[in-house]
Amino acid sequence: MDKIMRGRIKELIARHPKVGDALAEFGVACVTCAVGTCLLKDILEIHHLSPEDEQRMLTRIAEIVYPNRQVVIPLRKSQPEQKTGKLINSPPLLKLVAEHAMIKRVLARIPDMLRKLDLDTVEGRQLALASVDFIRSFADKYHHAKEEDILFKCFDGNLDIIKVMLDDHETGRAHVRAIREAVERRDTVAAVKHLKGYQKLLMEHIRKEDEVLYPWMDRQLSVTQIGRLFSEFAAADAPLAETRRRSEEFISMLEQRFGDAEPGQSR
Amino acid sequence: MKEHAHNCPGSMMMDRRKDSDAAEAGTGKVRSQLQQWPIQLHLIGPTAPYYQGADVLLVADCVAYALGGFHPEYLKGKSIAIACPKLDEGQDVYVEKIKAWIDDAKINTLTVMIMEVPCCMGLSAIAERALAAASRKVPVKRIVVGLDGEIRKEEWL
Ligand SMILES: [Fe+2]
Ligand SMILES: [Fe+2]
Repeated sequence: MDKIMRGRIKELIARHPKVGDALAEFGVACVTCAVGTCLLKDILEIHHLSPEDEQRMLTRIAEIVYPNRQVVIPLRKSQPEQKTGKLINSPPLLKLVAEHAMIKRVLARIPDMLRKLDLDTVEGRQLALASVDFIRSFADKYHHAKEEDILFKCFDGNLDIIKVMLDDHETGRAHVRAIREAVERRDTVAAVKHLKGYQKLLMEHIRKEDEVLYPWMDRQLSVTQIGRLFSEFAAADAPLAETRRRSEEFISMLEQRFGDAEPGQSR
Repeated sequence: MKEHAHNCPGSMMMDRRKDSDAAEAGTGKVRSQLQQWPIQLHLIGPTAPYYQGADVLLVADCVAYALGGFHPEYLKGKSIAIACPKLDEGQDVYVEKIKAWIDDAKINTLTVMIMEVPCCMGLSAIAERALAAASRKVPVKRIVVGLDGEIRKEEWL
């Protein structure tokens, strides 16, 4: 079992596809992850399952990998529970979660916006470019920059979970470049394709950060680090007040034009 | 554990001798992590060098007696002031001093440690008043300690 714990999860799933199902049962989505070089032991730490769930999941994996052997998984002693009731509690990380909520309000309107998008009209091109501007200036410059330049720097950059997030940011940037080029060519089909791609990527990316990465980081960060992040985030935001104001305006405009998103999509 | 009825839960008598006999006390000398003097909130100067940019603990008087690992687990690397929100006089001065920590000493964080008895919440309220009055903002954490020395709640405000 120790060998499995120190093995790369993608390789384990390749050899035993049912392991992927066992992980998914406990909300661990390694199968859909693009990188998948995480070690099983790191996955346990990052996903922070209850000791009982962890034992059940490892027992399932052991049954799949060693079908003819009886492997006993000891119940881990439960760690001191977080007594906040919330998965993410520190002010700097809550600030990033609030920015996610703003980005999600835009992502929620993209499907409706795409149904009517026509780059042969001035209005259509303006809307596509305004979306690109929001993604570039708010999602990327205002939000991802704080993650990349400040938050992620508190952790080992070789961690797979961080590499996955940085990969997502890069993929997002490639979509944005493609959207811009499509607008220049007035290629509505390509613009729709990449806006859809961006929407899907970011929804999943934000879900990973809100549900897995940030709660894990919140547990790791010391009080001193929380204080530093708080002031460094404030310093990073200060010169971008105008970006924020413009982004809020864009969100209101989008919500007015494309109405309410389907329930559960907006925040 | 015996409990006696009393009007104020903050001074209700509890006898926990049996419980503490059962729990193992650490052996060996525990090093003090106190790195300053004075510590009482009326006596400290809020802009003393050890408060500058520091992670500051504002601790109710009783906490360090209830919490077995106070020095290594909480005080280590931090600056401190202690106060009692129930018995101390002149608590408006407390608000001013905490505000000066935030605005003038530019502290990094403030952690308020209180007992679970209701009157101890007063210390948290004083810190929140100071934070609201300050022009800077800093993360403020509240840690509530049980009479049995266990952490009841730990949250950023
Ligand atoms: Fe991100
Ligand atoms: Fe993010």
